[in-house]
Amino acid sequence: MTVLLAAAWSEVAQQVVSGLATGSIYASLALGIVIIYRSTGVINFAQGEMATFSTFIAWWLIEDPNGPDWPYWAAFVVVLVISFAGGVLLERVLIRPVEQAPVLTIVMVTLGLAIALNGLIGWIWGAETRSFPGAFSTRPIHVGSVTFSIQDAGFIAVMLAAVLCLYLFFRFTKAGLGLRAAAAGGEASRLLGVRVGWMLALGWGIATMLGALSGMMTAPTAFLDPNMMQGVLLYAFAAAVLGGLDSPIGAVVGGLALGVLLNLLGTYVDFFGGQMRLVGGLLVILGVLLIRPQGLFGRVAVRRV
Amino acid sequence: MRMRLSIVLALLATGAGAALAGPTDTPGVSSTQILIGGTAPLTGEAASAGAVSKGAQGYFDYVNARGGVFGRKISYKVEDDAYDPPRTVLAARKLVEQDGVFAIFNTLGTNNNLAIRDYLNQRKVPQLFVASGANTWGADSKKFPWTIGYIPSYVVEGQVYARYVLKTRPKAKIGVLFQDDDYGHDMIKGLRRGLGKRTSLIKAQVGYDPKGADVSSQVAQIKSSGADVFMVFAFGKFSVQALIQANKLGWRPKLVVVNAVSSSANLMTLADLTGAKAITKGAVSIAFFKDPTDPKWKKDAGLALERKILKQYVPGSNVKDGYYVAGMASAYTLVDALKKAGKNLTREGMMKAARTLNEAKNPFVIPGILVKTTAKDAFPMQQVVLERWTKGHWSIFTGVLTARS
Amino acid sequence: MRLLTVRGEVLGKAAAAGAFVLAVALVPLALADYQAYEFALVGAYFVAVCGLNILTGYTGQISLGHGAFMALGGYTTAILATDHGIDPVWTIPIGGLVAGLAGFAFGIPALRLSGLYLALVTFGIAVAAPALARKLEGLTGGSTGKNVPLPKAHWGLRLSSNDWLYYQNWTVALVLLLAAWLLLRGRTGRAFRAVRDSEVAAVSFGVHLPTYKTLAFGVSAFYAGVAGSLFAITVAYVNPDSYPIKLSVYLVVGAVAAGLGSLWGLVFGAALIEYLPTKAADISSTAPDVIFGAVLIAVMLLLPSGAAGLLRRLWAFAARLYTRPRVQ
Repeated sequence: MTVLLAAAWSEVAQQVVSGLATGSIYASLALGIVIIYRSTGVINFAQGEMATFSTFIAWWLIEDPNGPDWPYWAAFVVVLVISFAGGVLLERVLIRPVEQAPVLTIVMVTLGLAIALNGLIGWIWGAETRSFPGAFSTRPIHVGSVTFSIQDAGFIAVMLAAVLCLYLFFRFTKAGLGLRAAAAGGEASRLLGVRVGWMLALGWGIATMLGALSGMMTAPTAFLDPNMMQGVLLYAFAAAVLGGLDSPIGAVVGGLALGVLLNLLGTYVDFFGGQMRLVGGLLVILGVLLIRPQGLFGRVAVRRV
Repeated sequence: MRMRLSIVLALLATGAGAALAGPTDTPGVSSTQILIGGTAPLTGEAASAGAVSKGAQGYFDYVNARGGVFGRKISYKVEDDAYDPPRTVLAARKLVEQDGVFAIFNTLGTNNNLAIRDYLNQRKVPQLFVASGANTWGADSKKFPWTIGYIPSYVVEGQVYARYVLKTRPKAKIGVLFQDDDYGHDMIKGLRRGLGKRTSLIKAQVGYDPKGADVSSQVAQIKSSGADVFMVFAFGKFSVQALIQANKLGWRPKLVVVNAVSSSANLMTLADLTGAKAITKGAVSIAFFKDPTDPKWKKDAGLALERKILKQYVPGSNVKDGYYVAGMASAYTLVDALKKAGKNLTREGMMKAARTLNEAKNPFVIPGILVKTTAKDAFPMQQVVLERWTKGHWSIFTGVLTARS
Repeated sequence: MRLLTVRGEVLGKAAAAGAFVLAVALVPLALADYQAYEFALVGAYFVAVCGLNILTGYTGQISLGHGAFMALGGYTTAILATDHGIDPVWTIPIGGLVAGLAGFAFGIPALRLSGLYLALVTFGIAVAAPALARKLEGLTGGSTGKNVPLPKAHWGLRLSSNDWLYYQNWTVALVLLLAAWLLLRGRTGRAFRAVRDSEVAAVSFGVHLPTYKTLAFGVSAFYAGVAGSLFAITVAYVNPDSYPIKLSVYLVVGAVAAGLGSLWGLVFGAALIEYLPTKAADISSTAPDVIFGAVLIAVMLLLPSGAAGLLRRLWAFAARLYTRPRVQ
């Protein structure tokens, strides 16, 4: 009897651990979504494609036989910088014209960006699946009957480090303060000398950088192809909503929790196996928005009339 | 002036494609050309399979350069459907009604072909050598006489694996990871059918979402069922992920089976490169087309031809990609059937030829495997061989196995 | 300055509408048979875009999930026609009703969601709906889908199947356009517009928000359901992959390109949905999505009020050009 229980528990524990690993993918994409929402009030439907695009640039630098063949860490840093610049450019060119426009317009612009980027990736690099090197080794670690890899643990560590950096940035730097001010009240902060336009661009730059980070951490396990992040986007939204759309730590906690939840649901509730996990993700979004719209750590309240 | 104008208008009105001037009344056939149409996912999530139609095109170019079939050049028009069935319907109708093609050939995708089958059969347009292994192309041939499949069906594939397990590991505990769609379901159907009374050997049968991110949870679930035979019925990167996950979990199944669709050398090599050699070593799969990366075929005349055609007619192609071979194989069979159908080419004649195939020398198919159809047997290919992954490439280790579904 | 008197404008609009109906009736005579098929699809999209316009253009609620409502209508038609032998034509209103009820039901929790959040949830619905269709295999045929009986002319009319489809779809489209017009010009329409412009003000004018917001969802879902039925009959096949998230995005693009808050540009929006993907593929066989995304962004940046807005501006321009202030 105890053997059976032990077996069952170790199975659950393994699913939890795998859930944390999958959840870090959701969390990493959610982080960028949260930053854009927090600094510009926009939900970026193109976050996944932007992350994939950045990762392809990294692939070209590191792995492409016709490319410059750079070492991993050099390319890593350069891609983060390029992504930051790209994000700033995107905001100034595409989002700035529609800053004051109704919600639908902005949503459609980010959707258009997502579609165009996806096509662009396929056009430049083609559709085959490729491998991407990881920052950490994939050697498995066994703790009792549960296995995970250093890569999985490293991913989570990187996420938490990113959240810490963001916290320090928002709290203690002038730019961070400016970002918060710009997000909170455009006009008033303008009067106080905050260059609101550039703050919004900064927010996009940071989020795009986070997207690149997300892509480069996800690609080693998920393999790189133009549609790598398409299956993740809905879960990333769910993670962001669960954690609180304006809370970076919420994005990470939400992502990890969602990964575990969906794994357990998928494994133990027959109805939610296979493709039905998507429905699980949808129910999380719907449930959180209806019951506790600010999520676990957020501060935004949905206005009700 | 007006007379001439009305003649021009009359000619235009008879439709550009529908009435190519020629000795026959068959749509798409003239004294100089045979117009064939098809759809393929040139963009979108299944774009990697677009190489099948490119391979076929290359073979047609080669045949055309040598005079074509009875002096007619084969013109192969491929429309992109992005793997989206409603677009396949639109494209097929356009090809038939506006371009006036003789036949539809090599359309890729089970659902895509299901969407156009009724229409093509109603219009009596041949739906030839469908690029999908669904069982229904052969099984329902009486209901849909204008449709014919090509590759061994997924059900047959599942059966072959079942029989292999029963023969070599009768006490196996099978764990199956399958893609949660038509493809995966057909494979499972075949597996169960092949196991017959011993379906209890299947200890875990877990599906995954083809649009999801990874399969770690599913593989973990299968491992914890105590399975010692791991069957992967997946597509593309998910197969590699499954193998890697199994490796990561420290699982060492005694036998790993990888389905044909994802057993391409690139994917297996990817798995090896990411450290999953322990899992991929000895993995078993089926084959029916010659694998361009198998050293056995290094001096093979058929693949030498394939390489020559790719070099000359398909710029930018990856010689190692087996999809091109698949396309050329079915193009070869089409040309074979066209020749059989004779100089006086009609659609009925075409179907008759397609139903009386007897090809033993298709240069792209593994020798011994016949491409054959008869009045009672509407499945062109029902034989496979088994191959094993060793030292970074596939090696065939059995003779030709026959499995009827 | 007005170009026409008020009466003149009313008559003018009626004449334009009449001309439109006449054009719809006569166009197949000028078209090749295959083109009638394409136009039949435009008719189906027309209905969907009309419905979405009622929701987003008139009450300001965003839906990125109308493809799912189309799926409901399409599957209803497929199940009734294929499994139960009902003539597909009669399944059209039923498909609409099923979707309409679902839309109404969804409208209730949707009351608590606004703008971005509603967009998120409806996006989720569109992404998850195919999964549900796949799961309920017994009902929907799972991944294999269902073939709908091929269309043919009814009631002794001697029409090719493509022409029949064209007239079937466009008759439904015109009837529903009329219904939408009647609905929107009355009290309901005014209430809808009040909701869109300012919920707070609407409440203070006595508009009961929940009723009108859910009504809008229900009605627009009904339209999407009808469109889905027409789509299923025209394509003659349904499966989970026939209603992907892309379809929902296309519908919104079509509605915006048509011009939200007006019924004048609907044909343009519907035509865009039908022809843009194939035209984009013609322009660039390797990167059609780039063209599509670029067009989408261009429409949002340059022409956010769509074709209807453009028409309005042209009309105003003409008015300025041709009227002169009377100087006494």
